[in-house]
Amino acid sequence: MIGGLFIYNHKGEVLISRVYRDDIGRNAVDAFRVNVIHARQQVRSPVTNIARTSFFHVKRSNIWLAAVTKQNVNAAMVFEFLYKMCDVMTSYFGKISEENIKNNFVLIYELLDEILDFGYPQNSETGALKTFITQQGIKSQTKEEQSQITSQVTGQIGWRREGIKYRRNELFLDVLESVNLLMSPQGQVLSAHVSGRVVMKSYLSGMPECKFGMNDKIVIEKQGKGTADESAKSGKQSIAIDDCTFHQCVRLSKFESERSISFIPPDGEYELMRYRTTKDIILPFRVIPLVREVGRTKLEVKVVIKSNFKPSLLAQKIEVKIKRMAGMKESQISAEIELLPTNDKKKWARPPISMNFEVPFAPSGLKVRYLKVFEPKLNYSDHDVIKWVRYIGRSGIYETRC
Amino acid sequence: MPYYGSEETVKELRRSLSNPNVQADRLRYRNVVLKVIRFMSQGLDVSALFMEMVKASATVDIVQKKLVYLYMCTYAALKPNLALLAINTLRKDCTDPNPMVRGLALRSMCSLRMPGISEYIQQPVLNGLRDKASYVRRAAVLGCAKMQTFQGDTEVDGAVVNELYAMLRDLDPIVMVNCLRALEEILKHEGGVVINKPIAHHLLNRMKDLDHWGQSEVLAFLVRYKTRTEDEVFTILNLLDSFLKSGQPNVVMATTKLFLILSEDFPNVQMDILERVKGPLLAICTSEYHELCFLGLCHTREILRSLPGHFSGHYKKFFCTYSDPNYIKYQKMEILRDLVNDENVQQILEELQTYCTDVSVELAQMAILNIGRIARTYSERCVVILTGLLGLKQEHITSAVIQTFRDLVWLCPQCTVTVCQALPGCEENIQDSEGKQALIWLLGMHGEQVPNAPYVLEEFVDSLKMETSATVKLELLTAMVRLFLSRPAECQDMLGRLLYYVIEDELDMAVRDRGLLYYRLLQQGVEEVKRVVCGPRSDPSLDIISGQANETVNAWTKDFNTLIPIYGQEQWDRLTAQKGDSLEILQLSAVKSDETGTNPEQREEMVLDSGSVRLKTSAHLSAEQFEEHWTRLEAAKVVTLDWHKDPSPDAIQSAFQFVHIQSVAISRRGAQLWKAYLFARNETGSLFLIELLIAKDKGDIQVTIKQENSSEELLNNFTTVVKSIIQALDERLDLEYISVAAGEECSPN
Repeated sequence: MIGGLFIYNHKGEVLISRVYRDDIGRNAVDAFRVNVIHARQQVRSPVTNIARTSFFHVKRSNIWLAAVTKQNVNAAMVFEFLYKMCDVMTSYFGKISEENIKNNFVLIYELLDEILDFGYPQNSETGALKTFITQQGIKSQTKEEQSQITSQVTGQIGWRREGIKYRRNELFLDVLESVNLLMSPQGQVLSAHVSGRVVMKSYLSGMPECKFGMNDKIVIEKQGKGTADESAKSGKQSIAIDDCTFHQCVRLSKFESERSISFIPPDGEYELMRYRTTKDIILPFRVIPLVREVGRTKLEVKVVIKSNFKPSLLAQKIEVKIKRMAGMKESQISAEIELLPTNDKKKWARPPISMNFEVPFAPSGLKVRYLKVFEPKLNYSDHDVIKWVRYIGRSGIYETRC
Repeated sequence: MPYYGSEETVKELRRSLSNPNVQADRLRYRNVVLKVIRFMSQGLDVSALFMEMVKASATVDIVQKKLVYLYMCTYAALKPNLALLAINTLRKDCTDPNPMVRGLALRSMCSLRMPGISEYIQQPVLNGLRDKASYVRRAAVLGCAKMQTFQGDTEVDGAVVNELYAMLRDLDPIVMVNCLRALEEILKHEGGVVINKPIAHHLLNRMKDLDHWGQSEVLAFLVRYKTRTEDEVFTILNLLDSFLKSGQPNVVMATTKLFLILSEDFPNVQMDILERVKGPLLAICTSEYHELCFLGLCHTREILRSLPGHFSGHYKKFFCTYSDPNYIKYQKMEILRDLVNDENVQQILEELQTYCTDVSVELAQMAILNIGRIARTYSERCVVILTGLLGLKQEHITSAVIQTFRDLVWLCPQCTVTVCQALPGCEENIQDSEGKQALIWLLGMHGEQVPNAPYVLEEFVDSLKMETSATVKLELLTAMVRLFLSRPAECQDMLGRLLYYVIEDELDMAVRDRGLLYYRLLQQGVEEVKRVVCGPRSDPSLDIISGQANETVNAWTKDFNTLIPIYGQEQWDRLTAQKGDSLEILQLSAVKSDETGTNPEQREEMVLDSGSVRLKTSAHLSAEQFEEHWTRLEAAKVVTLDWHKDPSPDAIQSAFQFVHIQSVAISRRGAQLWKAYLFARNETGSLFLIELLIAKDKGDIQVTIKQENSSEELLNNFTTVVKSIIQALDERLDLEYISVAAGEECSPN
């Protein structure tokens, strides 16, 4: 359990402090500031023990979030709670920055009050929280609103309230992936994995049943027949997912038995699933570094970047100031670096070349095959729903050593 | 954060809060309340506004209500009388038709930290348990736990406990988990919530409905369940199998722990589980969040304790990336070191080699030390790498390499020749004392194989005046004597100079003594010196650091998924170490004080020492007399100090006796409200009475001092003495030191 939660700015000033248990005193706030934020040396560990109190911290831009406890707790849970807290805050007011926190501090206190009680995590689903959090302040409520809260508060489906109506039924699917790569100077892949998320924004009326399908290897193999045709269409038709998890709305029993993903979606934006793959990853770019040390004060750096995807696609936001780059192209930069002559015979520590980019496809090869919507009570069919699918592959830690 | 001009601010706020115009305008009113909360979170003391804030709670505006409740929860303990006024509003809100208001009020009411609140909240909490909205039930269940913490020692309410056990069947999953949490706290003294067969099976069935916080907590509770049959074990393992591959790290960890403990008696099953958890654990170790990564790595190391080769096939996953923070890099390097086998040794060494030139000095040195560890099994390859690093001529690298060599030569004598060939020239690049010590030791020990050894040592001898570190000097003395034995002709003159300097000019006593020791030893003849200096070497295989036998899996399962793998067992023991050792110190000093007691003259001196307080050594006061004085006198001083441990009567009694404060009555160890009564008389006959009060789990001690003939100066001096004793008892300082310090403080003249 968590004894208290503090939020500091980079100077160590307290922006938010909320204590849940008696064993955490006000002096804990200062202890963390003095020992961690103001400490000269680098952070030694994300868990710090000061006077028998454990401080768990994460940093988002220049904001520190610290959870404090005196008990011997499950550390993974505390950190996941902090991440969740960050997620929730981001979904309410965007980036976590000093200004945003100061402007929304009432909201944050409200959130902290709902998410944790006596230091135990309670309801942390952003969608469900929205009913409890009254940022604008609900005054005297109408009868209708009140009954809505009651049903939310007592209802079986914690993540969706009843009676949602939209004129246009729409849904957006985003497949967001981050590719991580560590490559040796010789071009050998040392390690690579893709961690991806399927984020859905649903604007659907009523209590719709959804069914989601993707090119999961196990499913495709089960179906058997379709493979021959489909493999002709796309070179690599199915992918092996190492592990995946779903939003709590997905019926896991059905997934386990038939590998089908069916659910009643929460309203608005949420993360439907999260997955990881390590096999057959399409690496969007290859970086070939050539570094020559010319004498003691000069370096010659030549970096060749090769893109490795369909020529019709465009990658964006690529680092090294290449604004746009078409597929199957090669580009080169070379630079000469003049070093300050030092009397030290220091060996040049070669930092790896890392890349940032965004490509409009899923490097894991994941494809959405269908997403069907059924709403038995209200009168709209699967065809009436407007659906959008988007793939974004971003670079995670994409490093090539040189 | 102390705030300048805070009084003004508080006044200003009070004016706005009680302004009827503001109160009429809901938005303005809320904004003022907001301001109060803002100051509160900045650390400004706004408790003076309590009255006004209580009034502000009577509103229909839920936001304002929430804010005021937050305020009340923070300051109720300071203003218990005023807080009682708020209770009426809160109780009324507990019957509001809106479940959200009911839940909010109940939760806030239970969080007011003040004595005597429990009688007011009992009824609303009990009603809350039967509320039709799960939101209210959630708050009520935890309210029961909060209530127990207020009441402290008093009897556990059986009816509430039964009700909570029954509510484990509640339809709402969060209510169910909250019940477990509440029962655990309420029944803390009886070993926590009982997990019997029906409860365990019920929990297993509900697992799927829970969110992941609940899942990991229920899994932790299930660890307590004692299975009867083998079949039952396997049924549970099958039921929970999917959670092992959950995407939530905390659930993965909790499941792993549960599984390993359930299969305690089936080592094969345990191996199987560890094999299956490999994937999820590696996923945590390569997670995008550094903190989780770190946890994963710490737990991986735990597994490696019993299965050193478990992750050998996946060693590449532990290669560091440039953006990893150092704390992750350290863990990864140590894991890599442990994973080395015949197939991957080349790759791992190459990888570690690249870290050796890292810009972070500490990281580079760490990498070198890790290569040194691998060298114990693959010495040849490693020595080549290490020798290569010397060529970089970097101070911190050379120093770390030489230290590694020293340890290596000791453990693997076969490397001595290669190491000795690498030594010449290193002395130019070593500046830190650890590196110097290592080099000097090597030169002394194996000087016969290093041609220029005497000349290198000579340089050290010549610059001895500049040397600040005593340990380097000690090392140099020993090395010089050793080298003298193997190469007398080249060293005789130098050794003479060294001994002369050390004995005549050296200021450090330890160094001078060592010099004298060698000088006298040399006078006994060379044979004698050889016998002493080159004594038989201890057997390296006996060395604790050289290798540890693999532990069994069951040795660490209990601590898995707690803070212990993160802090490390040693640090954890230190953090949780209490009572035991401190008691010994105090008892030791108690014995000392007894010894002084046998000599009356010495005792008199002691009295003079304790400065202007001048307490009498032998004073007597019966319990009745004490009581009479105690009731008659007013408290002259009340102090609250930090206190972190279980008070031990013996230790406290003897500590106070040491400065001639006698005890009248002391509570037993482990009492809920621990009390002690002490008294002292000073030479002028003035009487002091002391009461010590320690409430369990509160973390402080309250000291009340009463004085017969009031004298401000005397009282202050006396208080400092008492304070310093209590602080010292709390910090386990040696008593001798305290009494000196106390004496100094008390004698301003």
